[in-house]
Amino acid sequence: MTALRDYSAAVTQPTLGGDPPRYDEVVAPDGALRPGWRRLAEGAVQLTEDDLRRVGGDIERFLANDGVTYTPADQDPGPWRLDPVPLVVDAAEWSPLEVGLAQRTELLNAILVDLYGPQRLLSSGVLPPAIVFAHQGFLRVSARASAVDPHPLLLAAADLGRAASGEWQVLADRAQAPSGIGYAMENRRVISRVMPELYRQAGLHRMAPFFQALRATLIDSAPASSPNPRVVVLSPGTLSETAYDQAFVASSLGFPLVEGSDLVMREGAVWMRVFGRLERVDVILRRVDAEWSDSLELRKGSQLGVAGLSEAVRRGTVRVVNGLGAGVLENPGLLPYMSAMCELLLDEPLRLPSVQTYWAGDPRSARYVLDHLDGLVVRTIDQGSGPGLEHHGPDRLRELIVAEPHRYVGQELLPLSQSPTLDARGVHPQAVTLRTFTLRYGSTYRPLVGGLASVSDDDRVPSSKDVWVLKERPEDPDQGLVDVLPLTNVRAPAAMVPRVLEDMFWFGRYAERAEDMLRLVLTAHASAEDYRSRPHTAGGASLAVLMSAVARLSGSRHTADQLDDNFRSLLLDAHRPGSVAQSIGALRDAAQSVRDQLSPDTWQAFSWTERASAHLSTYHYSHQVAESAGQMLTGILSLQGVTANMMRDPGWRMIGTGRAIERGLQLCHLLAATTTVRRGIDVDRDVNTAVLSAAESAVTHRRRYRGYVRLPGVLELLLADAENPRSLAAGIEEMRQHLAAMPESTGSTRPERLLDDLADELDRADVASLAVVEGENRPDLERFLTSCIGQLLRLADAVGDVHFAGAPVPRAFGFATVTE
Amino acid sequence: MTGDEPEVGRRYRVSHRTTYSYDDDVSDSLGIAYLVPRELPWQTVGRSELTITPTPLDQTADVDYYGNTATYFQVTEPHRVLDVLAVTEVEARADRHSAEALAVPWEDARPAHRPDVPDAWQAQDLALPSSLADQTDEARAYAAQSLTPGRPVGEAVVEVMRRIHADFAYDKTATTVTTTVDDIFEKRAGVCQDFAHLTLACLRSHGLAVRYVSGYLATTPPPGKERIVGADATHAWAAVWIPGDGWLAVDPTNDQLVNDRYVTVAWGRDYADVPPVKGVIFTEAKSSTLRVEVDVAPVTD
Repeated sequence: MTALRDYSAAVTQPTLGGDPPRYDEVVAPDGALRPGWRRLAEGAVQLTEDDLRRVGGDIERFLANDGVTYTPADQDPGPWRLDPVPLVVDAAEWSPLEVGLAQRTELLNAILVDLYGPQRLLSSGVLPPAIVFAHQGFLRVSARASAVDPHPLLLAAADLGRAASGEWQVLADRAQAPSGIGYAMENRRVISRVMPELYRQAGLHRMAPFFQALRATLIDSAPASSPNPRVVVLSPGTLSETAYDQAFVASSLGFPLVEGSDLVMREGAVWMRVFGRLERVDVILRRVDAEWSDSLELRKGSQLGVAGLSEAVRRGTVRVVNGLGAGVLENPGLLPYMSAMCELLLDEPLRLPSVQTYWAGDPRSARYVLDHLDGLVVRTIDQGSGPGLEHHGPDRLRELIVAEPHRYVGQELLPLSQSPTLDARGVHPQAVTLRTFTLRYGSTYRPLVGGLASVSDDDRVPSSKDVWVLKERPEDPDQGLVDVLPLTNVRAPAAMVPRVLEDMFWFGRYAERAEDMLRLVLTAHASAEDYRSRPHTAGGASLAVLMSAVARLSGSRHTADQLDDNFRSLLLDAHRPGSVAQSIGALRDAAQSVRDQLSPDTWQAFSWTERASAHLSTYHYSHQVAESAGQMLTGILSLQGVTANMMRDPGWRMIGTGRAIERGLQLCHLLAATTTVRRGIDVDRDVNTAVLSAAESAVTHRRRYRGYVRLPGVLELLLADAENPRSLAAGIEEMRQHLAAMPESTGSTRPERLLDDLADELDRADVASLAVVEGENRPDLERFLTSCIGQLLRLADAVGDVHFAGAPVPRAFGFATVTE
Repeated sequence: MTGDEPEVGRRYRVSHRTTYSYDDDVSDSLGIAYLVPRELPWQTVGRSELTITPTPLDQTADVDYYGNTATYFQVTEPHRVLDVLAVTEVEARADRHSAEALAVPWEDARPAHRPDVPDAWQAQDLALPSSLADQTDEARAYAAQSLTPGRPVGEAVVEVMRRIHADFAYDKTATTVTTTVDDIFEKRAGVCQDFAHLTLACLRSHGLAVRYVSGYLATTPPPGKERIVGADATHAWAAVWIPGDGWLAVDPTNDQLVNDRYVTVAWGRDYADVPPVKGVIFTEAKSSTLRVEVDVAPVTD
């Protein structure tokens, strides 16, 4: 039996009472397939559960390779989840929904225009004023006669569910800063790759034209005075719930992803800090809630927005999408009045119903809510389900509602439709909701033909589904849009704000730090495999020296006989300073905050390192250390390929600078830990050989010195030989080129001067003579290395001061004030 | 007074200087000032000048949601002292209310219950809780003693004002700008701003609409003493919606109805809507001092 037939048989079985009947997305009550699925049947019916499971595995891998994450509130980022079975809607069924969504968005826009303008809805008594006045999203700073925006709503989203009859109902409107469209695109990208035949057969609407239209809408929304508008995507940062979605949208649309600290208010307009200059910003697609967008007039102390933004918006010097006041629409208190508002503002009946909702500020509705607390979901008008409201018993809820009735609504629980969903036990029906997106394009509102579906059962992390809206005729244009210009090879113009440069610099440093530590671990582990049981041989002594280098770079709480524990901790313990795990974690954080600037290939490196870590945690053989470290190294080295393909812009130069500084530091520490003491010919030879290997210069050395390993040659090759790309000299030359190409370069900036000093010191030192021994020690070498380390650290600080210096953080007037 | 003859008000020259000093350079100050008094049926505003030093690159006056003048400014030259000086000439008269309007039962002065009154829908905004005037159970119970069934609204409101004046001590050290209604009840003390917030919380919790009003009170020197320039202060009080007859302004700090010695600058839901000066600075400075000087000088020609 195939998965779909099994599913069909199971859901058409008469159930023994209990659950209320639900609309099934695939199978009609008589057991026949729904029209949309009938068209897919040929390909879809043949899929067995095993096929689906394989597809599910492919999806997981693709999503991991693309680094797609979702961060539930107050939790760490986790993988984004996508079910292999799409939600399929055929053209006949979609068409009335599309009309309803367009009307609804037009209505929401009209409501917004009215509430921030004439307030006819309130003065006429159609909408009880308290619903608006008590809502946190009603921003009085935007409700001024001086600030009239004819179309404040450019992109809206709605969450829909189906009643048992199959009727779509709106569960909630999203108007502030709707999220999810990036996830919807990513879902489609993955599904089309893992089920190519089915995808091709289906004849569904591709989403790309909608994105093109979105881009055009954003550019067109710029204030009329800008001939060449600059659009940015304002993100609250990488810790945000939907950080991936934001970065995806920014890079797909070709707009820079910025944070509040990258922007500044001047002359009543918003500017972006770019290389110490200010560049005007015309349009802000915001993913920061309005309340946090302006620490001057909205939430005091917020660092997520731009101080003064409300003023710029009122003056019309910048367009914020959606307008700051749009949050007032995310208000379930509006739902009972939608019909009446539609009649008043649009003069037509409401097409798309909302889930039955009762606003408790109305005395009759309040009585109904209080009498039906068991059967209704209680929500506050402005905080979703409210903090912990779902945990209150009926008595507490009653108290809350009676105390402040205008702040609460009761909503009927829609049974929701069900859709086959793959889980660990097989394919089962799960309740599904649909998020739709509607865009103002030209003079009309156009819903995305598609969407983002969510399924959840009680005990699992929610998963998503791709939404397939089938074309009526194969020749129908995608999204019904024929006139949009394709996005030709859009790449985010480099938004080289100081924050981005700083993240790039650290990306370089952590990539190098991870790589160098991996090489040291591989070298030390190989030595341990040979000599761990023979501590008194030359090899055993050399192993101890290598472990002292490890301890110098990464500390150690392990004794000499806990070698494998030590290696594992170096690879896996993210809390150990200097460990590979810590460097990779920090590298990933840096990459995430500049995700829009990096190739998607970047994320494959991390899926390599993650798989290697997982293996190492599972398998406890010693050789797994070498194997996993090798896989991690492969992943980290692939980042060199990513940077090789980058534009030679300041971001790329900062990665290179970061790498070169870190490489120099790691090298000097390695040499200081291993070569400044003389230990006898055999031990020294082993140590020197290991150092060459850890510094990735063993092959070069063999070619140049024919296997004759002596310290002067090693130092020459690792410090002074500019032709060895791993040498300090080569790193200095590399940095010199990078720094000279930075826009701030004058030839005499502090970093450039420090670099010149370092180069001079290296030139002056006769490297071979640094190996001179006094007693057991090499004091000249030790002094030289210590000096280099100090200079490299100062150089790193100076690069930060010159190239990443942002403005001080904004604070309120009279902070820490003494009143006289 | 018959009410027919044109009333002559008192004229004042109000000078209000706010000075912030910092221990390091401030590269950028953005601010909003509510310092220009409102033009009102009972108040005429003459010359009004707002002078900010250093001179802002950008200074723009706008009318906010409640009809107040809000001045936005940005100073972008490095500075260690920011000085905001408002000088205004204003003529204030007493706002009169008809005895009939004040005699309606307080229950009928709740805007949510008066769809027949044209501005009742708008007044509902000011019957809702606001962040600095939390409608606590204590506030509700406190006001309930005066809001007995059917009692005329004027009488009930004046009694609440009297009681707040009697029950709460004026104490500058008791409170800060973040003081809550609970704090005021606990300390049984506060300043004018706290008493205004308390009045809002008490009356709004019963459905009355009340404005927070910010302004000045002209002080009279003790007999035989010269008026001391700069000894005045900013002031705050509350005004209650009276159906069809505007807003009844009461000053719980001084236990009196607002009269021609009061200059009205701005009103809103609470202090946070209309602080005289607020702003954001960009600086590495570690500390700052604030100095406020207010002078309300009578003008006689």
